[in-house]
Amino acid sequence: MVEKKIAVRSQEANQRRVLDRATRQRRLTRQLEALEKDNFQDDPHASLPQLAKRLPQFDESNESSKKRKKTRGDHFKQRFRKNFQALLEEENLSVSEGPNYLSACAEPSKLPQRHFCAVCGFPSNYTCVSCGARYCCVRCLGTHHETRCLKWTV
Amino acid sequence: MTTLVLDNGAYTAKIGYSHEKVSVIPNCQFRSKTSRLKTFTASQLDEIKDPSGLFYILPFQKGYLVNWDVQRKVWDHLFGKEMFKVDFADTSIVITEPYFNFTSIQESMNEILFEEYQFQAALRINAGSLSAHRYFQENSSELCCIVVDSGFSFTHIVPYCRGKKMKDGICRLNVGGKLLTNHLKEIISYRQLHVMDETYVINQVKEDVCYVSQDFYKDMDIAQLKGEENTVMRDYVLPDFSAIKKGFCKPREEMNFTGKYKTGEQILRLNNERFAVPEMLFHPSDIGIQEMGIPEALVNSVHNLPEEMQPHFFKNIVLTGGNTLFPGFRDRVYKDVRSLTPTDFDVSVVQPQNPICYSWEGGKLLSENPDFDEMVVTREDYEENGHFICEEKFDI
Repeated sequence: MVEKKIAVRSQEANQRRVLDRATRQRRLTRQLEALEKDNFQDDPHASLPQLAKRLPQFDESNESSKKRKKTRGDHFKQRFRKNFQALLEEENLSVSEGPNYLSACAEPSKLPQRHFCAVCGFPSNYTCVSCGARYCCVRCLGTHHETRCLKWTV
Repeated sequence: MTTLVLDNGAYTAKIGYSHEKVSVIPNCQFRSKTSRLKTFTASQLDEIKDPSGLFYILPFQKGYLVNWDVQRKVWDHLFGKEMFKVDFADTSIVITEPYFNFTSIQESMNEILFEEYQFQAALRINAGSLSAHRYFQENSSELCCIVVDSGFSFTHIVPYCRGKKMKDGICRLNVGGKLLTNHLKEIISYRQLHVMDETYVINQVKEDVCYVSQDFYKDMDIAQLKGEENTVMRDYVLPDFSAIKKGFCKPREEMNFTGKYKTGEQILRLNNERFAVPEMLFHPSDIGIQEMGIPEALVNSVHNLPEEMQPHFFKNIVLTGGNTLFPGFRDRVYKDVRSLTPTDFDVSVVQPQNPICYSWEGGKLLSENPDFDEMVVTREDYEENGHFICEEKFDI
């Protein structure tokens, strides 16, 4: 009886897809990147046609100064439009001497890693076989399988 | 000649004339679901009646200024007639920048301050240096201090000795208020109610209910108890922006432990989230960021400095930035640093009255300093020597 049960379990484990280390790391990186986002929703103006441009200009006398401002804006857009990653690469820090942005980052902690249930947030003792997420009890494991485990597919 | 002090943070700008008071103003633009044609800039946030689903346009990325279009719109608004009515021909500016700011950002900054706005003189400086300046002014017998600046994008730990920053000791944790709010949003959305679009509301929730635990695992045990015994649990009433303008915590007496309320307001039930979220500042590894927490990084940073200075740093730990306002933050930093340092060192952690504006006040003091005129670059200097003179004079 007992033997049979073990057999069923290991069979199940074989069938279940198990993510390798690299994939798990990729998922974690993606989750951490998501925490840097400014907004999760779409820009409420994104779906609108660009009305502002088509509106008639009542203030004719202001026209010339407006035009000047606009060209200046375009100049700035070209000159200054860079994202963080591009700026970081441009600095070429890996070859420069002395402390810099990259070297100032805190080192990994010397304290042992702590583990928390991915579902309820309480301390956890178990690891999901498939994806490596932590869980604390059968109930949370069930929730985890139904909602997250492999569903945010790799 | 007047001086404008601007602590240009990634989330709020702390701005004011050196002879006046400071104002804290959002350093970004907003779009709202309800007013579809308008983009709101900085303090116009107050005009938005329904900030649910508020869309942020931030000039900063990871703490560095990248979106100049947005930044210039915010500055136009701040310097313009609606707010500070800056007379550029008769004004100098003290403006803050992040540590290790990229060269191209620094050059753009010079150009915009001198060529666009035409300030008469400018001083670009790190916010932490202003904090340190203020600390040394107020505690003139101290030789060293270590500034912990925990803001929106990241947390910096920076040692200062006799007013000079010690570059080798600078340490950055990539954990700031934005990450905490996003993490709280994420776990609430997973566990009870979808709030991924509600950055504004959840940031308020974070400020209202989160705290730093003094004994993390003990609080975890309390949070697992049921009913009356669970002293951690709180019910937070979400705003609907008609009857309830601002969310609030249900008073303990009115809490209903079944979680059902007859009044029909929308409730968030917060339990271990209350202290697990700010815990990221102390253990970033809990969510997989492999970096030291604040106390460990602080002790590590001090250990890399000359031995004879070390006791002075432990005696003068200064906490600044919005994250230090979590209840219990100071006590926890003290407790952890104390347990990581030998007993013959004194440990003292100072939390200023207003940690958000502490560096602004430092800028105000600095502008009244007799050496101030020596430190700035004037417009003539800049026109004569260009970026070179700024690079020479400013220590970013």
